[in-house]
Amino acid sequence: MGKIIAVHSYKGGTGKTLLSVNLAATLVKHGKKVCLLDLDFRAPSLATILKTEKIECWLNDYLNSVCEIDKVLIDLSDRIQNSGKFVVGLANPSTEAIRDMSAKDRKWEMRALGRLLALRDSLLNNKGFDYLIFDTSPGLQYSSINAIVSADLVLVATTFDRSDVDGTKRMLRELYDLFEKKTEVILNKVLHDFSSKAGKEEMQTAMKDIYQVPLLGIIPCFCDVLKGEGNIIFAQDKPEHPFAKILDEIANRIDKNTL
Amino acid sequence: MAKQEALGKRPLHVLEKIRENLAKLNEKMEVMIELQKHGRKDIQSMPDAPLDVMTLLSMPDHLRKTAMTVCRLGRATAEEIAEQTRRARAVESAYLNQLVIMGYLKKERQGRKAYFYVERENQE
Repeated sequence: MGKIIAVHSYKGGTGKTLLSVNLAATLVKHGKKVCLLDLDFRAPSLATILKTEKIECWLNDYLNSVCEIDKVLIDLSDRIQNSGKFVVGLANPSTEAIRDMSAKDRKWEMRALGRLLALRDSLLNNKGFDYLIFDTSPGLQYSSINAIVSADLVLVATTFDRSDVDGTKRMLRELYDLFEKKTEVILNKVLHDFSSKAGKEEMQTAMKDIYQVPLLGIIPCFCDVLKGEGNIIFAQDKPEHPFAKILDEIANRIDKNTL
Repeated sequence: MAKQEALGKRPLHVLEKIRENLAKLNEKMEVMIELQKHGRKDIQSMPDAPLDVMTLLSMPDHLRKTAMTVCRLGRATAEEIAEQTRRARAVESAYLNQLVIMGYLKKERQGRKAYFYVERENQE
């Protein structure tokens, strides 16, 4: 039975999309059948990052009940060598589409939740996907909460930024807990030295004290990630890079269901 | 012979009707007890109130758990919901009926069973 993972954060720029794409690619490299969906309708980015062309249908159309999910999915398995299956569903990045999505009413959002919940049947049960990964908008957006409610596991990307730490703490208590969601925190853009085992453990204990949940991963601030300008899928292009190695560990832990 | 059979079935039919009515009465009482327990006599009935995520977030915990389970299962009986939430069937029945009164869920009877679901109209 497959699993739905929502990647979320309190603030923007915490690395949700970077994590979503690379986690998806890593799981694909592990031979899994993965579907990555861009649910960040405010600032869609997967279409640019994955350089996809000629999109027939967007996820917007699926949620608007204009088309079915098969029409939205694009097979990118050939982008990743020796792999399982990698398909993506994209959010429409046009200004008109973003405006349209931000003006939806509560009834529409309720139907959109129904459409998202239906993906468990259509993609996990019927098409046999191992993972559905939702890349979301930051904060308490309708589309993000819909994604969280539909997910089995929420990965929260956070940084050391004080407002981010405070906001993430609040969301753990007042959002994920209320929906009884299994939640894991990934600390990103870390500048501290944790090359020693003791340093790493110390940071993990400190983070556990703050968030009251264990840390799934600690990712240092890599200049190479910034230099890549969003063009590099590390799992595929630089598998020996420490960033790719950390993602490998995270994917293993998710896959072994040891969370 | 046929007449005798018909006569034989009649008391059974009456008993069945009584059983059904008692079940309905029981449900109503369960709702009243629950409403009293939570001191929410003021619950407003809003026909077709959307059960969106923000509404789910603002609900009291005990109702959110039930409503979330209906969302996930799509359509279910109180017994099926109770299996998921690991609460007593009578308790779930009360919460479900409360959610129906509030306008978030719809209820449909099929024979002896009552099904609860979220209406998401015009999916076209």
